[in-house]
Amino acid sequence: MNREVMNAKNVIVQGITGSHGSFHTAQMIDAGTNIVAGTSPGKAGLSVAGIPVYNTIADIKKDMPVDATVVFVPAPFAKNALLEAIEARIPLVVCITEGIPIHDMLEVKNRADAAKVVLIGPNCPGVLMPGLRKLGIIPAAMGLPGSMAVVSRSGTLTYEVAAGLTARGIGQKYIIGIGGDRIQGTSFVDCLSLFQNDPDVTAIILIGEIGGTSEQHAAKYIAQNITKPVYACVAGHEAPAGIPLGHAGAILGSIDESANAKTAALASVGVQTFNSITSLVQSVK
Amino acid sequence: MRLLEHEAKAVLKGSDLPIPSSQLITNIYHGSLPVVLKSQVPVGGRGKAGGIKIVSDKGILQTTIDAILALPIQGYLPKTILAEEVITIERECYLSLLIDRDSATIRLIAHPEGGVEVEQHTTDFLNIPITLQSIDDSAQQAAARLQLPVDLVTPFIAKLFATFIRSDATLIEINPLILTKNNSLICGDCKMELDDSASFRHPDWKAYENQASSANFVILDPSGTIATIANGAGLAMATVDAVAAHGMKPANFLDIGGGATAGTIIAAFSKIMEFPDIKAIVINIFAGITRCDEVAKAILEAKKSITKLPPLYIRLAGTNFEDAVSILASENIPTLATLEECLLAAKAEVTHE
Repeated sequence: MNREVMNAKNVIVQGITGSHGSFHTAQMIDAGTNIVAGTSPGKAGLSVAGIPVYNTIADIKKDMPVDATVVFVPAPFAKNALLEAIEARIPLVVCITEGIPIHDMLEVKNRADAAKVVLIGPNCPGVLMPGLRKLGIIPAAMGLPGSMAVVSRSGTLTYEVAAGLTARGIGQKYIIGIGGDRIQGTSFVDCLSLFQNDPDVTAIILIGEIGGTSEQHAAKYIAQNITKPVYACVAGHEAPAGIPLGHAGAILGSIDESANAKTAALASVGVQTFNSITSLVQSVK
Repeated sequence: MRLLEHEAKAVLKGSDLPIPSSQLITNIYHGSLPVVLKSQVPVGGRGKAGGIKIVSDKGILQTTIDAILALPIQGYLPKTILAEEVITIERECYLSLLIDRDSATIRLIAHPEGGVEVEQHTTDFLNIPITLQSIDDSAQQAAARLQLPVDLVTPFIAKLFATFIRSDATLIEINPLILTKNNSLICGDCKMELDDSASFRHPDWKAYENQASSANFVILDPSGTIATIANGAGLAMATVDAVAAHGMKPANFLDIGGGATAGTIIAAFSKIMEFPDIKAIVINIFAGITRCDEVAKAILEAKKSITKLPPLYIRLAGTNFEDAVSILASENIPTLATLEECLLAAKAEVTHE
């Protein structure tokens, strides 16, 4: 993932007239995001927080360029909304919607990859670049402009880290929640490469959780590519095996998927690991 | 959601995939012998646990049925037994379809030796991606690995793949896939998992016994002393981790998700009240899409409707947090600034008792 795609100027909101869409459109504008339009099929001509509503992305693109879209469309319709954004070749698609069927996401993920569209999420809080913009729902008051970069699979732990850093006066360039579903767009590795290649970023925080092996992939990538300090915490040390915990993706199957195994993998490549967010936030420099 | 074997096999039968002839019984069997009696519980390892018996002798039929119905397997007691014809087995194979999260593909897994010992093989499974376009090619590879004729395997895999897609399945495992004496295939057992997120387009799923269990409430320790409520899976996990790190016994994991209402909180409190040893409830909310003021109103309402609630230690942060604190303060319910403070206060309560 390159820095250019994160500097989205013209942002649209899909599902802008829904309760989440309209509430967070106003919040994103307050956080400095340049929202230029929104979609809601059949509601063209309305406006939300002063932003014009269109029926489709194609209609918006007749009037203005679009660099990014934030998707609040309910799960049963999310696949079509995401495919619409991918077909329109919007470079950055951030999907907040939770509960999208896995088979729908298989198709979306493969289409996004083929079209070279950066998809963040689904079921994620999105991106906050404090003082610049936010694409999603991370409360902007939690952030402080600076040079730390945070990537997390958990929405609420993303907020927790941001608030903790801000309370200590440690600012952030990127706070990215990538979501915890089994099929997700952007990975830890994609974000790590963004952070490594951005000279503004001085240190990296990675928040993982049980389920899957993406933390192990991250550890391997860190060993080979990352020269900046990395701090990490993996949630779910007390998790029982085989039972899904909230997130569709947070299920502890094999031993590799446990918090202990992931923490060990990260520690083995020089990442400073912590068993609680509180101790991580207190220890970063 | 994991289906029971008879439910999974009904799905296969609906796709014209071969299954043994069978009937579902609750306590009496009137069919012919011999018969295989299979405990209908949603877990593996039934055979080794004594939940699968072949009966040839009418004299022991009823006692065997009664014994299976009385035998819990991994905590599950069967409500029904699947009574199946006995298949004459030439060979047992293994075939499954699943979703691989890393590659975002559906994968076809096959092995020529199936049955209960299949997990002993770890490295020599065929494991290839399969798509609608690649079915013929994938089936050819599977036939080679299974050492079965292509014209037997290809239609089987085509039907299985169509079922996987149509059913929003995340796993269909046929083990054993039985090759019969007369060279046909039949699904000896089937494990099927369906994607709970897709339930909105499958109204028929409401008929399944093992209803989408609430993934959001998980019992960790029935004798735990601290109950936890959090929003978001990560925060809920981290809250449980922090309770344990403070030397206390977390009873549960609970993610109330986004957009909590009074109903959500009342349901959470009611569930927690079922645990006899709870001394304190730690509520840890960091609101993004959730709004703290709505959570606060919900807590007030829930507190009014449930008496004898253990002490609450509440930490609220994020969207509309100031409103929430004043809403709770108006009813003399204190909030604490950090989870750490909640845990220390809860610990004092637990040790004090």
